[in-house]
Amino acid sequence: MSGETGRGDGMAAGTAEEAAVSVDTDARITPDASHLLRTIFARELRTVVRTRTFLLLGFALTAVLLGAAWVGGGLGAGYVATTVDLLTPLELLVPIVAVAFGYRAVLGDERRGELDVLETYPVKAWQIVVGVYLGRAVGLIAAVLVPLGFVGGAIALSDTDASPIYATHGGADSPILFVRLIVLAILFALVVLAVAIAISAVASAARSALALAVVALVVLLVGLDLLLVYGLSTGFLAETSLLHALALSPLSAFRGLVLESVVVVAAGTGPETAAPIASIAGLLVWGLASLAVATWSVGRP
Amino acid sequence: MTGQPPILRAENVDQSYGDVSVLEDVSLTIEPGEVTALIGPNGAGKSTLIGVLTGLLEPTDGAVHYNGPETARPIGYLPQHPEFRPDFTVQETLSFYASLVGDDETEALDHLEQVGLEDAADRNVEALSGGMTRLVGIAQATIGDPPVVVLDEPGSGLDPGMSLHVYDVAGSITETGAAVLLSSHDLALVERNADRVVLIDEGQIKETGTPAEICRRLEADSLFDAFEASTVAEAGTVRVQGDTA
Repeated sequence: MSGETGRGDGMAAGTAEEAAVSVDTDARITPDASHLLRTIFARELRTVVRTRTFLLLGFALTAVLLGAAWVGGGLGAGYVATTVDLLTPLELLVPIVAVAFGYRAVLGDERRGELDVLETYPVKAWQIVVGVYLGRAVGLIAAVLVPLGFVGGAIALSDTDASPIYATHGGADSPILFVRLIVLAILFALVVLAVAIAISAVASAARSALALAVVALVVLLVGLDLLLVYGLSTGFLAETSLLHALALSPLSAFRGLVLESVVVVAAGTGPETAAPIASIAGLLVWGLASLAVATWSVGRP
Repeated sequence: MTGQPPILRAENVDQSYGDVSVLEDVSLTIEPGEVTALIGPNGAGKSTLIGVLTGLLEPTDGAVHYNGPETARPIGYLPQHPEFRPDFTVQETLSFYASLVGDDETEALDHLEQVGLEDAADRNVEALSGGMTRLVGIAQATIGDPPVVVLDEPGSGLDPGMSLHVYDVAGSITETGAAVLLSSHDLALVERNADRVVLIDEGQIKETGTPAEICRRLEADSLFDAFEASTVAEAGTVRVQGDTA
């Protein structure tokens, strides 16, 4: 039996009248998709563990977040006060760390010619992308979780309920609210990582990948929010649809979710800051669409 | 010759990038159990043809037919400039690829042994010389025992003894009935070791046959003379496809 090989676009099976050539070697059965995915994931995870830059990023993020919490006075005031202190640094730093984890992930293999080699193995483009993404995601989750975990630990050790603002709502302050912040920060990081992986797959050189990553950061951090403001100012967006429109921007979705599920909940009152389901759906769409773009790019001839 | 039909067959393959035609109406067969050498001047279209034959490039026109046994990896491939992910040992690198065809570490090391590099198993890939990297690349190309092994300039950067060793490895691969297609500029080695030669120039197949057949046909004393007689580029110049069309 003749088979289709490689990417297969220009490769066809032998014609029917020809008997397949026999070769005196053991024919291999293609491993199942989960085995292939695990193999690629394991290699990616090893790469992350062995890359000191990622470790340094984790240390730097820990130092900055602890510093911001300490300077802002949140450490002694509780989890919600610290969340408010950390929100802006997280909005800036999480995307940067996520992009650093992902912007060369696929590009490195492409530049080394390893993507071409991988195409002669029974591995599909989506398995490469998802395996790479999951491997990097584990490292990124650690890089976000550990610093915020340290901050949470520091709050637990130094919380004196000294904040005059939050003392009135002392009963509302809870480590669970801080856990929500951590979960949302990780979700935000994973979405930006997907964007970075897409950039890595689309870019053809390290320099263009870096340039594209910077553009993506600017768009994610500033551009989409400005677009929303412009839409509001021109009347294209009605004020009533603003909360749902915020879900279009990953940054606004993250910010809105944090305010809605941590700060407003603790305060017990306040304006609506997000449409939670729309925001989560927006983040998921950004993540999945980015991985789809990466898969298309890796799989194209 | 094995008496079997071709294991790989290209039919009327065209490959162009915009207005630049790199391959024109290329038809050739790769026979099982043989080492086929693809020779031609720089820029002749060898690597593009290899890309099409391995399925990495979709031909603009024509088709490539694979007629070998069904297996997880029908075609093994060594790129012209093999590189591997840094911070991994040779063993880890080959084990990764072996795992993709369901093989284990022991089988990966067998392929390393086949190229004579088993002593470097624990060395990091970035600590290998260029020649050793190429040998690891050849070991990688044979993982999964593909019925067709395509090696893009496997002898490049290797000392004469190691270049000869590459042909020995290629020969040992064909003992199973597998086909080896390699590109090379070392015409003396090709003449001594290849079963068949495909000479390509300006994106077209100019000659095919055994080295002796080609020499006889072109009334040349050696494959080098035959190469000179059948290629259009002047010595020391590189034909750039498209610019002279």
